[in-house]
Amino acid sequence: MLSRVVLSAAATAAASLKNAAVLGPGVLQATRIFHTGQPSLAPVPPLPEYGGKVRFGLIPEEFFQFLYPKTGVTGPYMLGTGLILYFLSKEIYVITAETITTISTIGLLIYGIKKYGASVGKFADKLNEEKIAKLEEVKQASIKNIQDAIDFEKAQQALVEKRHYLFDVQRNNIAMALEVTYRERLHRVYKEVKNRLDYHISVQNMMRRKEQEHMINWVEKNVMKSISTQQEKETIAKCIEELKLLAKKAQAQPVM
Amino acid sequence: MNENLFASFITPTMMGLPIVILIIALPAMLYPSPNRLVDNRLISIQQWLVQLILKQMLLIHNVKGRTWSLMLISLILFIGSTNLLGLIPYSFTPTTQLSMNLGMAIPLWAGTVITGFRYKTKSSLAHFLPQGTPTLLIPMLVVIETISLFIQPMALAVRLTANITAGHLLMRLIGGATLALTAISPATASITFIVLLLLTILEFAVALIQAYVFTLLVSLYLHDNT
Repeated sequence: MLSRVVLSAAATAAASLKNAAVLGPGVLQATRIFHTGQPSLAPVPPLPEYGGKVRFGLIPEEFFQFLYPKTGVTGPYMLGTGLILYFLSKEIYVITAETITTISTIGLLIYGIKKYGASVGKFADKLNEEKIAKLEEVKQASIKNIQDAIDFEKAQQALVEKRHYLFDVQRNNIAMALEVTYRERLHRVYKEVKNRLDYHISVQNMMRRKEQEHMINWVEKNVMKSISTQQEKETIAKCIEELKLLAKKAQAQPVM
Repeated sequence: MNENLFASFITPTMMGLPIVILIIALPAMLYPSPNRLVDNRLISIQQWLVQLILKQMLLIHNVKGRTWSLMLISLILFIGSTNLLGLIPYSFTPTTQLSMNLGMAIPLWAGTVITGFRYKTKSSLAHFLPQGTPTLLIPMLVVIETISLFIQPMALAVRLTANITAGHLLMRLIGGATLALTAISPATASITFIVLLLLTILEFAVALIQAYVFTLLVSLYLHDNT
């Protein structure tokens, strides 16, 4: 009964935990928190650049340093020689066919490592460097792209400052065009109006002329009609008399 | 000569516990996994090597065959490293045991054959009869092809076992001969020693080649059947 209370309490408490499914078997461990810390691999500790120093390719330097206070420099060598001779003399290590194969195999290995070891190491370094160089190149290209984008943006911003010149010029242009159109239309209006007025004037002139001509014709016609035949004869006779007088005068003049 | 030449091929047990399991698990510990972008030299070289082998080996396969890539790479790495580690003096090579090689060859071969029968039944069965055989020979040829099919895993296992065992044995024998000859005439002993050196070089090559051959054949069987 109590365990059920504990279970329900643990269930509500563990609802916020990530691993609530393990509650059944492990009620005691219900309060343990899983996977809330940093992942254990990151940040990765830096690699040492060189391996530990060894002598004979096998025995680390620390061993020699360890024996130095008690036995000096030759201590470990004496130990090694003594051990080998002890094993050989007591036949703890038996010289068999295996020994000869050991000599040949290990000899070959040492020869191979001494000859090609450095170049293999350099090859490995080159592989890593190439990898880094490729990524570096990508990074540099990305930086360059972004830098170009920034410069372009700055240039655009500088241009925006000078935009108002463009707008002023355009505004002036438009104002001039408007002015020109206005004057043109004004002139046209003036011309049209003048045209119409001229029309009226010419109509009036024409009318007056016509009337004048008509009156003159009418007057002439009436005068002609009024001049009777007899008057005409009298007038013509008077004219002839005057002409004779004039002719006489004219004859008399040049003689003077 | 009274000594048991096959003493080094006994499965190592220590007080009844089979430590051969530890020996088989050892090569896996020599391949650290890459942890970071730029690793140490060992991991870089291994990565480069694996990439090289993988690209070379999986060119011939289609998508279905490439699902086997992890298996094939693990195979070649395991056999190669086990053989090379076996060249260390006084060590035990698991691949000298026929049991282990059969355990590797039969499941892989059976896997390829069953894949072939499952997905391309007609074409798999067609492999039993080469093209262009005269009609009279067909029954005999089918029997022969069946036998040759079932010989494949045996051949794989026995090839690997025999090569490695023979190499180790030969090295031991010539080493013994050199040892015996040093007491009689050191000059002949030195000649024998040179032979031993050459043989050791061959053994290194054979170790790698056998791994390659094994994996290549499995991959070939796979190619036939996918």
